[in-house]
Amino acid sequence: MGYFFCLPFDQLLESKTKYSEQELVVLLNEQSNDAFNYLYDNYSGAIYTIINQIVPDKDTASDVMQEVFVNIWRKINTYDAGKGRLFTWMLNIARNASIDKVRSKGYRDNQKNQPMTENESSGMAMSTNPMVNDVGLKKVLTTLNEEHRKLIDLSYFQGFTHEEIAKMMGIPLGTVKTRIRTAITQLRKMIR
Amino acid sequence: MNIKEYISSGVVEGYVLGLLTAQERFEFEQYCEAYPELKQARTAFELALEKQAMENSIIPPADLKQKIASKIFDENKTAPVIPIQTTPPVKFNWVRLVAAASVILLVGTIWWSMNLKNENDKLKNDNAALQNNLKNSQDSIAQIIAMANHIQKEGMKMVGLNGTANSPKSFATVYWDTTSHDVYLLVNNLPKPASDEQYQLWALLKTNNQMQTIDLGMLQLSQKPLQVYKMTNAQSAQAFAITLEKKDGNPEPNLQKIYVMSNL
Repeated sequence: MGYFFCLPFDQLLESKTKYSEQELVVLLNEQSNDAFNYLYDNYSGAIYTIINQIVPDKDTASDVMQEVFVNIWRKINTYDAGKGRLFTWMLNIARNASIDKVRSKGYRDNQKNQPMTENESSGMAMSTNPMVNDVGLKKVLTTLNEEHRKLIDLSYFQGFTHEEIAKMMGIPLGTVKTRIRTAITQLRKMIR
Repeated sequence: MNIKEYISSGVVEGYVLGLLTAQERFEFEQYCEAYPELKQARTAFELALEKQAMENSIIPPADLKQKIASKIFDENKTAPVIPIQTTPPVKFNWVRLVAAASVILLVGTIWWSMNLKNENDKLKNDNAALQNNLKNSQDSIAQIIAMANHIQKEGMKMVGLNGTANSPKSFATVYWDTTSHDVYLLVNNLPKPASDEQYQLWALLKTNNQMQTIDLGMLQLSQKPLQVYKMTNAQSAQAFAITLEKKDGNPEPNLQKIYVMSNL
């Protein structure tokens, strides 16, 4: 009888272990197997979601996911808790890696050979097809007005600088900055 | 600066989402140190964003975890190799240098001694061959001298056998000891017989106009030059002849195939 209870009980305990961010950072710096398991089990979904919203192609998203976790693992010693939460740090690593991938020549060349529906699910098509990938931040985006949504999409999901967006949309840089700030404050209201 | 205005400007969200310029980011971090409420606002948005992201996440492909784990931990396994390379190189180089030199020396020695052994073996073989040749030569010379002495004995009769129409250039010499009746043959020149043929020496006697032929034996298949061979004794002979016969000879000579013959 002992075994019957022991095994599930241990697993139950393990899955219920909840580390604080500080504890997790210490564990990650020790580079242990447990640290990796906890990191992946708790954060892979959120991280995969942000990657997938920027990189719609499933295989490429998986590649980026591997890259992101290896980077988190290797660069954990550069994480500075004073500048923000661990999750924020990881999310930005994921976002930056995804944008880099989408902007890489290899990915763009590959996308030219894909059927149109693939392109439509990528960021630029957001304004015409807002219902695609409606999870996470993008779900919040759907509640913004068209202009704000486009600004957030271009800056956050596609990584364009304010200057690039100003050129793209044909509006002054100052206006872009103001409107993005407004869009962000709208976003904050949605998230809270 | 009005910190409340700053907080509500959207800069907090911009910072967290990574949408600020480097300059704006630097400013924000400076203000965070100075204004605890700014830091609180930042943390509040971070937690809200995190909660929102966690609650609305999609599940990644099932095989990804294992792939990433092996990528991370397989690479880590090779990591302990690196410190070895960072240990002081001087000691290492000496050991390696000496080891390398030893190996080179060892290989060189083996190569050298192998060469030496090969050379030694070759010299031994050459020497043995030379010894053998010398012995053969000495034996031959001894035989020739013995024969020369023998055929110059008193009562030794030398008979030249000239080539016939069958082989005009051929020539042989018979030495006939008239006292002991021993017959010796020296082949000066005879064509090489076919493998199923052999030369045969005959003594010729003419009595009452009758030609009698006496078998004096077969010539050895390979005749050494300048070598005198002892043949069968001949009690009496008036002339000698060599015919080409079948191997191991015939009781009577084939007169069509006389190669050399002395005058009667």
